Amino acid sequence: MSVKERLSDARGRLMGEIAIPSEAQILEFVRGTLQLFRGERMAQIGVLIILSFILLGLFAPALAPYDPGDMNRGEEGEILRLAGPSADHPFGTTNLGRDILSQVIFGARVSLIVGITAALVSTFIGTNVALVAGYYGGKTDDILMRVVDIAYGLPFLPFVIVLVFIFGAGLINIILVISLLMWRSSARVIRSEVLSQKGRPYIESADAIGASDFRKMYVHILPNILPLTVLYMAFGVAWAVIYEASIAFLGFGDPSMYSWGTMMYEAYATGAIRFAYWWVIPPGVCIMLMVMSVFFIGRSLEKLTNPDLRH
Amino acid sequence: MSMQRFILRRFVYLLFTYWAFITILFIMFRITPGDPTTLYVVEGMTKAERLATLQRYGLTEPLHVQYIQYIGDLLQGDLGESYRYNAMVSDILVVKFWNTIFLMGTSLTIAYSIGIMFGAYLGWVRGTVQEKLGLFIGLVFRSSPEFWIGIVLLSVFVFELGWFPWGGIKAIGAETSADFFSRYLSTSFLYHLAMPALTGAIYYMAQPILLMRSSMINVLNSDFIEIKQAEGLSSFQVIYKHAVRNSILPMATVIALVAGMSIGGSLVIETVFSWPGMGREMVESVHHNDYPMAMGAFFLMGSVVILMNFLADIAYVYLDPRVRYD
Amino acid sequence: MLTIENLEVHYTTDEGDVRAVDGVNLELDRNETIGLVGESGCGKTTTAKAIIRLLATNGRIAGGSIRFEGTELTALSDRDLRRDIRWNEVSMIPQNAMNGFDPVYTVGQQIVEVIRAHEPDTTKRDAMRRARDLFEELGIEGDRIDDYPHQFSGGMAQRAMVALALSLGPSIVLADEPTTALDVVIQDQILQVISDMQDELDSSMILITHDMSVVSETCDYIAVMYGGRIVEYADARTIIQNPCHPYTLGLRNSFPDITAESQELISIPGVPPNLIDPDEGCKFAPRCPFAQDECWEVTPTPEEFGEGHIVECHRAEEVDMLQTEAAKRETWVGEERDVGVQRDQRRVRPVETEQDSNSHE
Repeated sequence: MSVKERLSDARGRLMGEIAIPSEAQILEFVRGTLQLFRGERMAQIGVLIILSFILLGLFAPALAPYDPGDMNRGEEGEILRLAGPSADHPFGTTNLGRDILSQVIFGARVSLIVGITAALVSTFIGTNVALVAGYYGGKTDDILMRVVDIAYGLPFLPFVIVLVFIFGAGLINIILVISLLMWRSSARVIRSEVLSQKGRPYIESADAIGASDFRKMYVHILPNILPLTVLYMAFGVAWAVIYEASIAFLGFGDPSMYSWGTMMYEAYATGAIRFAYWWVIPPGVCIMLMVMSVFFIGRSLEKLTNPDLRH
Repeated sequence: MSMQRFILRRFVYLLFTYWAFITILFIMFRITPGDPTTLYVVEGMTKAERLATLQRYGLTEPLHVQYIQYIGDLLQGDLGESYRYNAMVSDILVVKFWNTIFLMGTSLTIAYSIGIMFGAYLGWVRGTVQEKLGLFIGLVFRSSPEFWIGIVLLSVFVFELGWFPWGGIKAIGAETSADFFSRYLSTSFLYHLAMPALTGAIYYMAQPILLMRSSMINVLNSDFIEIKQAEGLSSFQVIYKHAVRNSILPMATVIALVAGMSIGGSLVIETVFSWPGMGREMVESVHHNDYPMAMGAFFLMGSVVILMNFLADIAYVYLDPRVRYD
Repeated sequence: MLTIENLEVHYTTDEGDVRAVDGVNLELDRNETIGLVGESGCGKTTTAKAIIRLLATNGRIAGGSIRFEGTELTALSDRDLRRDIRWNEVSMIPQNAMNGFDPVYTVGQQIVEVIRAHEPDTTKRDAMRRARDLFEELGIEGDRIDDYPHQFSGGMAQRAMVALALSLGPSIVLADEPTTALDVVIQDQILQVISDMQDELDSSMILITHDMSVVSETCDYIAVMYGGRIVEYADARTIIQNPCHPYTLGLRNSFPDITAESQELISIPGVPPNLIDPDEGCKFAPRCPFAQDECWEVTPTPEEFGEGHIVECHRAEEVDMLQTEAAKRETWVGEERDVGVQRDQRRVRPVETEQDSNSHE
């Protein structure tokens, strides 16, 4: 072999060991994922449902038959309070005569925005904490893990409620407050994974060629823990949606937006749940569907990252 | 390191975490953007009344003095005076505390007993239709927020069928017995406990089912399970004495985390069923600006969570002999 | 004592039935040790496990019979199999001893468990005492019955496993690669331990391994397996010194002789056969340097070749040629060899025999 061939051979082997995915490897991964996806009926259903909600949310003004805040009137001009399902109002109306279907459609926006954003932010925080703690170990690890312990010591809903109460119930506040605690679960698990990656030979190789700490963490370890990170991001969406709905149900939701949780809060507070099933069921079912679809996708993602679960 | 040293170390962490918690609590309730006094002051107060209120709460002192005062109060069990009730927070919360503990304790006990067995079963019958169905049910439970489950149960069993009362802990007009035992061991109590406890049980059941199932699947792949089968042990012995016993290890840590979550969940369930517990009290207090009560409730809830986390750490070491000896 | 006749074990998979064991015949008497040798996937472990019906959920005995002391094991109910045969009569030593124990119970507890499962009238104290005695006899301190599996070193764990396996005085012990996970020094000790216990208890052993050197020392008889069948069977000496089947010859090449000069190991090129719906013909043909047309078309049948020496090969009579050629490196790595080849792409010309070898590129 010529010198050139030997060098490229060595580089190839080194690259393989360092495990930075090459373009071909990434393509292969994507192709493999899509193939797996084709066989996963649950994931397909999940993606379908989420896409539907995204469409609903994006095009809400166009899709909703009425303005969700409008008090609709009947033929004689009276306000249509608590009307049951009808042709005009497939999901009936609230105690203030507002169309429930329109509220449900607009509600998708809040759930999606809060869910996705909070999941992204909290997973971002969690992954970074995990990387730093796992990589540096020692005192840094101890300190960061104590912080995680403290985060775990705070009961979620109570903490969120107090903060929302103090700082106001805007959408951004809600997202921030949820993220402020939700990162704790991804931090712990991802840290274990970082620890196991740290011992792999490719890290030694990276060391040998003089890679910096930052590079080792973010260029080498990160791609290898990425599947786990994505998994937690997916589950984070589900949890965030449930938390947002719960916050809203307790009366601390954003009053300027129609969230599914707020709808149920109103239904409950006015005592209408005793009979107005049309008001209560649609938002509840929507929450359930959205969360379920995210879990379906998440479970299939789990199969991707953990081949043992495949059969 | 030995068991004792491990427990000692964990206990020190516990103290540290607890201290941090208390401090965060302090910061949360006293340092707010804008005028902090708005939290404790009611509309329409005169200037003098305002000052008096603020002085009563020690809010006129510098912050670090307030902090020392606060720690001192806590150590003596003084959680301040409720604004709404005009009584000591601790007095009011004692009963509510036990109400919540009974409710969530019952929910979790049911959830985990059924959840573990069902999850183990699903792991054993892997690949069958029953497993897929069981998984689906588990996922449905997990995807439904507690209040949704509560409302569904309400609609069916309370409004439609009228089998159970809407809420509360006793029939309207009935006397609250002062005696601890007759309060909690009466049929009336159980009758009122049924729906909210069932709601919690359904919601919290999903996690042990799913976790136990995947844990079982892992364990059943182990070599030693094959040996136990080769030994001629019955399926029952293999599943319960060996597979389940090994699968349960991760559950120990999970239970604590769930206990923490369930304290948060109590807010919602208690609200739906008007259950007079800490959670509902906290929500009401926040709505009504009764900050001492809210803080007191939060304090109690957080204490429970931190304690449960600590217990779980210990439990895990106790259950897994491999961890003990490293 | 144990007679296996025409055993067939199939695994159901998405791609079809895998014929992991495809017609195996074997006999085992008291105080005998048989070695089952072959590469991964040849069916040796499956054959052994089939005796106690320890198959995966997608595996089943598709044909043949396994008779133990007159009882037809394949016809036994699960309950009877569990009660009377498993561990009582046939026990097992797994490859990695530490993994064979439940990590959350002490070793003593597990020995007691199996004793009381089969002899329920035994008191816990008696069972513990028996466990302790077993340990002592195997060279482990009696007190260690109260230790957990992870506290044992590799060699000690293996001894503990042997203790567990022999605790009910079984007639047959299945040893699944008992030495693979150990270094050679411990290997030797363990094999000695096993052999001593065997003599004492009058039990037989089926030793499963891919390591020829192990079987040569410990076994009375050796069965070489390939593709789910036994391709050669004889007493140990014959197999080691006078093997006939090309695969056996190839295997022998793969293990260095410590007395010889430095040698380059000759390995058998190619990959294991596909056992799903196999065609006619010898399964080894694609990798056999001596394969001829007949080998590809007609499945060889076992033939007796000398006393108790059974071979499944069309060219077995040419044993001298086979042995000589197989020892040569070129036979296995010649240029025209195109191994792993599919049926329809088989090599055009057979390997030249000594007589007409003229050109070797």
